[in-house]
Amino acid sequence: MDPAATGVTVAGTGADPAKTTMFPEEFLKRTFSLINSDKDRNSVSLVCKDWYNVERMSRRHVSIRNCYSVSPEIVTARFPAIRSVTLKGKPRFSDFNLVPDDWGADVQPWLNVFATAYPFLEELRLKRMAVSDESLEFLALNFDDFKALSMLSCEGFSTLGLEAIATHCKNLTELDIQENGIDDLGGDWLSYFPENLTSLEVLNFSTLTSEVSFDALESLVSRCKSLRVLKVNRKINLEQLGKLLVLAPQLIELGTGTFLEELVSGSVNGLENAFSKCGNLVTLSSFWDATLLHLPVVYPVCGNLTFLNLSYANIGPDELEQILSRSKRLVRLWVVDTVGDKGLEAVGSHCPLLEELRVFPVDPFDQQLGVTDSGLVAVSKGCPKLHYILYFCQRMTNAAVITVAQNCPNFTHFRLCIMNPSEPDYLTNEPMDEAFGAIVKTCTKLQRLSVSGLLTDLAFEYIGRYAKNLETLSVAFAGDSDLGMEYVMRGCPKLKRVEIRDCPFGDSALLSGLTQYESMRSLWMSDCNVTMDGCKKLAEEMSWLNVEVIKDEGGDDRLANKVYVYRTVAGPRKDAPPFVVTL
Amino acid sequence: MDVTLGLLPDSPAGDDGGGVPSGVSTTVKSILTKEDNNKNNMVMCSEVSSSYPVGDQHLGDLELGLGLSIGGGGGGGGLKGKVVAGGGWSQYARILTAKDFKQNSCSSSSCSVSIPNSATSGFKRSATDSVSPTNGNSVVGWPPVSKAHRMPSLANENKSPTGNRISVTEQNKSKNRTAVINDYSNEKARISDKKYHSVKVNMDGSLIGRKVDLNAHTSYEMLAQTLEEMFFRRRSSTEAAKSSRLLDGTSEFVLTYEDKDGDCMLVGDVPWQMFLSSVKRLRIMKNSESNELAPRFQENNERRRTDVV
Repeated sequence: MDPAATGVTVAGTGADPAKTTMFPEEFLKRTFSLINSDKDRNSVSLVCKDWYNVERMSRRHVSIRNCYSVSPEIVTARFPAIRSVTLKGKPRFSDFNLVPDDWGADVQPWLNVFATAYPFLEELRLKRMAVSDESLEFLALNFDDFKALSMLSCEGFSTLGLEAIATHCKNLTELDIQENGIDDLGGDWLSYFPENLTSLEVLNFSTLTSEVSFDALESLVSRCKSLRVLKVNRKINLEQLGKLLVLAPQLIELGTGTFLEELVSGSVNGLENAFSKCGNLVTLSSFWDATLLHLPVVYPVCGNLTFLNLSYANIGPDELEQILSRSKRLVRLWVVDTVGDKGLEAVGSHCPLLEELRVFPVDPFDQQLGVTDSGLVAVSKGCPKLHYILYFCQRMTNAAVITVAQNCPNFTHFRLCIMNPSEPDYLTNEPMDEAFGAIVKTCTKLQRLSVSGLLTDLAFEYIGRYAKNLETLSVAFAGDSDLGMEYVMRGCPKLKRVEIRDCPFGDSALLSGLTQYESMRSLWMSDCNVTMDGCKKLAEEMSWLNVEVIKDEGGDDRLANKVYVYRTVAGPRKDAPPFVVTL
Repeated sequence: MDVTLGLLPDSPAGDDGGGVPSGVSTTVKSILTKEDNNKNNMVMCSEVSSSYPVGDQHLGDLELGLGLSIGGGGGGGGLKGKVVAGGGWSQYARILTAKDFKQNSCSSSSCSVSIPNSATSGFKRSATDSVSPTNGNSVVGWPPVSKAHRMPSLANENKSPTGNRISVTEQNKSKNRTAVINDYSNEKARISDKKYHSVKVNMDGSLIGRKVDLNAHTSYEMLAQTLEEMFFRRRSSTEAAKSSRLLDGTSEFVLTYEDKDGDCMLVGDVPWQMFLSSVKRLRIMKNSESNELAPRFQENNERRRTDVV
């Protein structure tokens, strides 16, 4: 669209507004309604006032990536027609117990405002928010059109809240509960779905631990003909899974239950048959307790799989080889390090289309090897399209990572976790600086980087100099001095989120990011050398930043042990608990 | 002397009364004679600390010995400059409360559990987060594995995180119980009540400090081994089998801690639980630096001398 045509140039030439040829509002409206990406809409809204207004009136989805960066009132005032909200709360390190309970990110204040401003709200996607049963009930009762609820890494609710959702949301299409701190009070929440509810398309309760009524589940699956995603929990066994599959061969994504079962041979055939009828399945996950005994039931669908999530299955290299040799189309693979380097060699041999690999540790404190540098290299050799890696290992070498960078220059996400803090290259005993240096030098598209191992300021100098597209950086137990962080804060223009723990970076490093914080979403620093004075200085310099210090019990009052800095238009938090101090 | 002994309820005072004075005098003598030689002071202290096995009976003996001069049960290994006659009583109260809470140390889910679970690799609060890691590495939230990717084979089973709520109530109940028994030690009770208790550890010459969860350890030996692994990276089994060098004074480093009053103390002299309730941070000090400790130590000697006399 040519901005000149909408009247901007007219204003510039001082011509009579009456003679302006502007696009009719209707035209803009219709055009904008086709624009779905948040980024594009943000750009559109910056063109001119008219566009800003048309855009904001027509926006249907808003993504608030830090719930404290803006208030619900501001959001609803600007965007009156929202139907779908994504809301993210706590800093990511809350996943690792670095944020105290009751820190905040309560969804209720948002729901209160949405109840009046967005009575037609259809979708709510929450990540790291505090959600209570009362909130879920409030949601279920106040939004008649509500369709889709997705909660990732949230906590504070129980199955009682789910009962409320099941009971009152007549048009529910999606219930997706992942990785949450739920109080699973058991009970029969699934049975609360009314008999006439047939709209469900996505049902994921894989992380709930208690049994659900299988009859209720079976009936639900049978009457919801549009069901495309079904992820059951570990209480569902293979035989039951088979019954469900027969009822829903149209599934696109399936999360299995447990594989732990003595199946009669007839059942095995039945299962294989059921799987073979699922021609649309492209994602398989869960696989609890899977062994070579019953893994073969999924072989009929392996050929179509693009995403295989084995991160709950402690399988070894042989099992993995069996599956992978049949899954040539895999694009994303998540495994546990029980597969070992040998399993990763199988990945390299069988998955030429692989773009994402995540290897999780079965036991981070067990000093057994798991996977090592050679596994990583093997994957990089066989999977040139690899651009996303999350790799937990006990040891690594610079040489291996340099090789990996050369084999896979397209990394966008490189997250390497050498599990012993400050661990050097195990062959040369040198710091791992050159490893990450190679990654940032070679992988120009790198957006996300997590570093680990023994690192000096040199590693950060490399990052600052080369990682020009870096948006997210996670650092732990690394660096020598303030210089390290300064290199990064001064050198990486696109930083959005920086999380640092246990590094010798102090006030000078904190303040070196002054020019960056405006364009960044947030900064987390814990157990570094930042003092209260440094934080106060930062807060003074930048008034639209919230500089929050989470106080430790009985710590030195001059030190700021946990600092969370984020830009905001909502001012200091009004709901901060006593241990969160905004400077 | 008898009065002091009388204040130590745990000690088998009656029977061991006979044996104690000699023990006392031995200890006192060694304090007096070696005050000038710093290195020997350290050695002496380590002798004191390693001379008692953890058995309660011997603990009682030692407490009696040191109780004479300092007034507090086994207080400070001779390095603490304060006379704590009254404090001795509260120290016992502290011991009581700490023991009371021992079993509750990690059952609550609302604790931001820093006790990494060897069974479940994630760290999110849950009733299952109660197993200590096998190698004693207990940095909060490290490695960064989120709850979703803990091994569910050992997590949950039928146990739901409702266990969390129950254990919080239990915690509250026992808090009340303690408050009734020892009002003046309420604050201390709350501190030892913490579900995880991590303190910073710094080593001279190393820039990066670490954090260690004290509640994941049950003895000085265990703690020292964890620290040695963290800072000296000894992983060979032969090294691990030896008793910790940090504690016995044979290493070039000495393990010290800063207590609630800000004093620098040698680790290992007070009973473990007492240590837990007074430690604020740890420091692995070069042996040459430990001279700083000596002056206070000398101060102590003087005071002790007057007390004895």
